Amino acid sequence: MTALEQPSQPAIRRFPIRPALLVPVAAVGFAALVGLALIASIGVSVPDAIAAFVDGTIGSPYAVAASINRSVAFALVGFGFVLANRANLTNVGGEGQIAVGGIAATAVALYGHVSALPLGLAFILPMLAAVAAGAAWGAIAAVMRVKAGTNEVISTLLLSFIGVWLLYWCVQSPLLLRKPMTSSATLPESLEISDETKLPLLTGDYSFPLHIGLPLTIVIAVVVAVLLSKTELGLRLRAVGLNPVAANRAGMSYARTVIFALASAGALGGLAGALMLLGEQYTLKDGFSSGYGFDGLVAGLLARGSVTGVAAAALLFGFMRSGGINMEMVAAVPTALVVVIQGLIVITLAGATLFIEKWERK
Amino acid sequence: MTWELFAVFLGSSIRLATPLLLAGIGEMVSERAGVLNMSIEGMMLTSAFAAAVGSWATGDPLLGLLIGIIAAQPVALLQAVLSNTLRANQIVSGIGINILVLGATTLAYREIFGARSRAEIPGLAKIKPPLLGDIPVIGPAVFEQVWLLYFGIALIVITALVLRYTSIGIAIHAAGAEPKAVDKSGLSVTRIRYGCVLFAGFMASLSGAFLSIGDIHTFTEGMTRGAGYLAIAYVIFGKWRIGGTTLACLLFGAATALQFQLPALGIAIPNALLIMLPYLLALLAVGGLVGRQMAPATLGEPYRR
Repeated sequence: MTALEQPSQPAIRRFPIRPALLVPVAAVGFAALVGLALIASIGVSVPDAIAAFVDGTIGSPYAVAASINRSVAFALVGFGFVLANRANLTNVGGEGQIAVGGIAATAVALYGHVSALPLGLAFILPMLAAVAAGAAWGAIAAVMRVKAGTNEVISTLLLSFIGVWLLYWCVQSPLLLRKPMTSSATLPESLEISDETKLPLLTGDYSFPLHIGLPLTIVIAVVVAVLLSKTELGLRLRAVGLNPVAANRAGMSYARTVIFALASAGALGGLAGALMLLGEQYTLKDGFSSGYGFDGLVAGLLARGSVTGVAAAALLFGFMRSGGINMEMVAAVPTALVVVIQGLIVITLAGATLFIEKWERK
Repeated sequence: MTWELFAVFLGSSIRLATPLLLAGIGEMVSERAGVLNMSIEGMMLTSAFAAAVGSWATGDPLLGLLIGIIAAQPVALLQAVLSNTLRANQIVSGIGINILVLGATTLAYREIFGARSRAEIPGLAKIKPPLLGDIPVIGPAVFEQVWLLYFGIALIVITALVLRYTSIGIAIHAAGAEPKAVDKSGLSVTRIRYGCVLFAGFMASLSGAFLSIGDIHTFTEGMTRGAGYLAIAYVIFGKWRIGGTTLACLLFGAATALQFQLPALGIAIPNALLIMLPYLLALLAVGGLVGRQMAPATLGEPYRR
């Protein structure tokens, strides 16, 4: 997963059908077949299950919008992963970054006196707070890497757990974000954020709840892609990733680059948390991040450094999750089935890396 | 704090440290040989599930334990093939395995137990060792533990001796530090690494079985809840040494036991903070107390002849 493993340009010209594209498609097909076999083996009618799956993904405008909103959160985490990975850093802390983003967005939306602000500041300020919180969360891992040489896989993972428990604390304690306790039955969750702080919907119609997160994410995708391939900063990330000592000697600060890379990844994770809270959930509760950070991470891992790859994987996972939820509700197929399929895709692709490289080098 | 409470605290610290300790020592051996198993979590969960089902179906927890150990081996083998033969990225493949296992065990659990969740499952017996167990107050509270714990301690002692005094130990260390030299000496780096990953799978399977049929006598979906990842962190905490890792895991056990002890003493600390404590501790440890030269030189890099 170093920058060296990027498919080289000449390979594209020589091979019209690239294995880097073909193999993922084959992996998804293989995993889907196993999924179908599993559905049959638990005694559910396969056509019924497929119908429920399709219905949950593209069956209604609502389903499509919900799937895309979900994909947007995965994609942001995935872009962050790819960005940091260009500097040979592996950010597995998406889950915690989403959590702290959600906390910051909720805190500012509820108690930051932002509801009356004009020009969309009512939701922009909570979003910025989430970005800052996520960036800070990522920067902790970066500082540990620079100062103590701590492997960022472990630090971001531990920070993930800490972030998730921090969120649990916030919604459990009335001194923090828990809604005022009127009785012992008051749920451990925050108040609902005010309408002004909710993200505007693109169509204004709640039967198609696609929010402004989608255009925002498209802009971010372009910015990340350009940054990585066309700017000096992208070159610096790659240089530091390939050889920190040489890069340092060439005048590129190792410390600053690492902090930039991990803080940016964290910022994107925080933004994903903000979009999830301000755009869909509206109240902060335990289990808020619900594995989105891991799905985003997997999207980033599978994309092998490509921004379009992240987008494709994020869309796939977003629609798969929606379909899986509907399959559970309608056809009594546990959502865990979708998790199995996802795991198979990751393992197959990880195992095929050597094969892809050999093929492309031929 | 009375002696009784302290003894209970000590006993539960040891009990809570056990799963991490078993998995951690296996992972440490594998990391010494150069393979990072992010899939410890998946191996533990597989065994926790298989041991619970086995014990429930046969009514014999010992058979359950055996089934748990056997079930985790294909998972370990998959990790070994991916990270050695196919030279896959060890983080990606490990996380992929964890996702697959989480999905598969949840699916199978729903199919087997259905609505009867939290089924009572026969668990492994506790033993009270002679002499130690007879100490008044402390004896029963501290030393009366599930026998798997004592078995695990014996295994860890053997592992320590093998690593330190035998040629196998030297070969494992060299496979992680200087694989080329191992190759030149005529030993197979791949074979050593396969063996170490399978050993990690065996230890993780004991750890998973301890969770389900040793400690709480039931299986819950995704019950390892990151314990495998924590084990990896505590190996770093322990500087890739048996003694260090053991101490680190005991510290983890103590930090976890505080969750139950402090409220009993009437000390009001937010529950979430106490749950967070073992993770914070691990973070501080990997961030400050451990130098950067300690890790096996080729950790996480597939060997290429």
